[in-house]
Amino acid sequence: MVIGLWVGSYVRSGSDFFLAGRSLPWWAIGISLVATDIGGPDLMGVGGDAYRYGIVMGNFAWIGCIPAMLIGAFVFIPHLWRCRVTTIPEYLERRFSVYLRSAVAFSWLLLMACNLGVMLLASAIFMKNLAGWDLSACILITALLAGVYTWSGGLAAVVYTDVLQGVVIMGGCLLFVFIGIQEVGGISPLMEKIHSVARAQDQLDARQRERMKAPAERNSDPEKPRHHRPAHESEHLSLVLPVDTQSPGPWPGILFGLGLIVGPGYWIGNQCIVQRALGAKSEYEAKASYVYGALLKNLIPFLVAVPGLIALVKFPELGHQRADVALPQLVGALLPVGFRGMFVAAFLAALFSSVDAYLNSATTLYVNDFYRRFYRPQADEGQMLTVGRWTTVGFVLWGIYFAFQLLAFPAGIYTIFQTLLSFVVGPTLAVLVAGMLFRQASSDGALTGYVAGLLTAIGLFSLNQPTLCRWLNLKPLFQVGQPYLYYSIWSFLVSVLFIFVFSYFLRSDPPEKTRYVIGGLNPNGGAV
Amino acid sequence: MTLFHWIGDTLRQQLDQVPLSVARWLMIGLFLALMFWIVQLPSTVTNPTDRPAKWTSDLKIWAWLALLIQIVIYSVF
Repeated sequence: MVIGLWVGSYVRSGSDFFLAGRSLPWWAIGISLVATDIGGPDLMGVGGDAYRYGIVMGNFAWIGCIPAMLIGAFVFIPHLWRCRVTTIPEYLERRFSVYLRSAVAFSWLLLMACNLGVMLLASAIFMKNLAGWDLSACILITALLAGVYTWSGGLAAVVYTDVLQGVVIMGGCLLFVFIGIQEVGGISPLMEKIHSVARAQDQLDARQRERMKAPAERNSDPEKPRHHRPAHESEHLSLVLPVDTQSPGPWPGILFGLGLIVGPGYWIGNQCIVQRALGAKSEYEAKASYVYGALLKNLIPFLVAVPGLIALVKFPELGHQRADVALPQLVGALLPVGFRGMFVAAFLAALFSSVDAYLNSATTLYVNDFYRRFYRPQADEGQMLTVGRWTTVGFVLWGIYFAFQLLAFPAGIYTIFQTLLSFVVGPTLAVLVAGMLFRQASSDGALTGYVAGLLTAIGLFSLNQPTLCRWLNLKPLFQVGQPYLYYSIWSFLVSVLFIFVFSYFLRSDPPEKTRYVIGGLNPNGGAV
Repeated sequence: MTLFHWIGDTLRQQLDQVPLSVARWLMIGLFLALMFWIVQLPSTVTNPTDRPAKWTSDLKIWAWLALLIQIVIYSVF
């Protein structure tokens, strides 16, 4: 907070507030990218999912991030930096139209605003389980602390506090993993125990699923025998899982959904992530930050997923239903008081690094893509700063309100928002790729493609809901437990199809639009 | 059974026939393809243009290192 307020004393304009005056160094952005990506809820959620499904969750930080970050570093991020835009929707208006800009900005703004409440609530639940703190107090304190320094320093405060938070997160988690592995007798005993405990749980789970089926269903859709793995091994230590796995990571979803669509969509299309690189000192620093972030990403699953696997060995009795409390329980059981404080500090750091990032990016989207674009096009830098700060206050209040509203909902709300993210990611990637790589893509085609992609994702999600399926007398569309990666694949493909078909048949864009494809601008942002 | 179910079932049946070892090699192939692409990038893209380039500032090396670690991880797990 001190760092944030100190950085805030240098903020004089809207440009300083939203893009740190384009002064950020690569190393700070790199750590900030990684710290933001490991939010508090992710730390808890990935730990719980690693308990349930194993190291397959590591795919989300490995194949789901590293290829996308490297392609982003050398292709997309330098181009966005050259365009000198503040937000991704702003680029989409320059390349396509104001309608697409507004549609994309509105979708992401809605998602970010909801995510703020989810993060505050999920983190408060973790602190309640771990330290017995009051839920309401946790929500209020977190929102206010992150709000104060984001209000003061904008993006620079977010990035520089993230550097400190990133070091604390990685240090705290590394220590925790080290103590945990020591506790179970080393790496080899840990792996053996994971196989035996997980195999027993998988068999129990399969028997329960079989019992819940109707007799006719049992005959028509029997549990398939495992044909890819020796009988004594579980799937918990494999990154490549079969098509019919119960985890959210069947290999086609991981490779085609996560690796080729969700990852690139997240690292190239998420304002919360890209905004940091847009604030880099130079085009080279923007590229270097992504490459450095990709290097750090190699380490992350070992820090956030391995604790879940250690918890599986230590507390096998929790089962899949109570896996989300595995991590807090492990922290309580494993760490002595001083070290426990360090892990709590790491968790709080993870939480703050995500809340501040979403606060700042939601504010940036609102102020640049709605307030300045439609209400005050002539607003000067001072006015932008004032409005930016007051909008931050508004989002803090909204986050607190929404977190309290979520208390009334049943568990699993976080999965709903992951699903919402998968609705937006595919169509956003489609319009960005079409806009940056293809001169033939037109604004009408892009808008149609974006809307069609969104509707596809929502339609697939609906056709997979048990209530609707029973009403229509259909079986659910997807067989995997959490098919959100498949929503992204299909929404991306439909978007691409619509963009190219409609671009072919409808009017093409003028040269002042098509010069915003990659290669159309020189390093100073002028036309080639 | 709708058209969507038919498409989904057909794809699932086809993909289920792919051995996991092939799926693993497809993932590793993605990293190898990226390594090949990165090594071919011109040095003006991977080095700073506003100061003399040292070997440590060549982003190709670090991108390669990140991908190499991935290949090891996906070969082991």
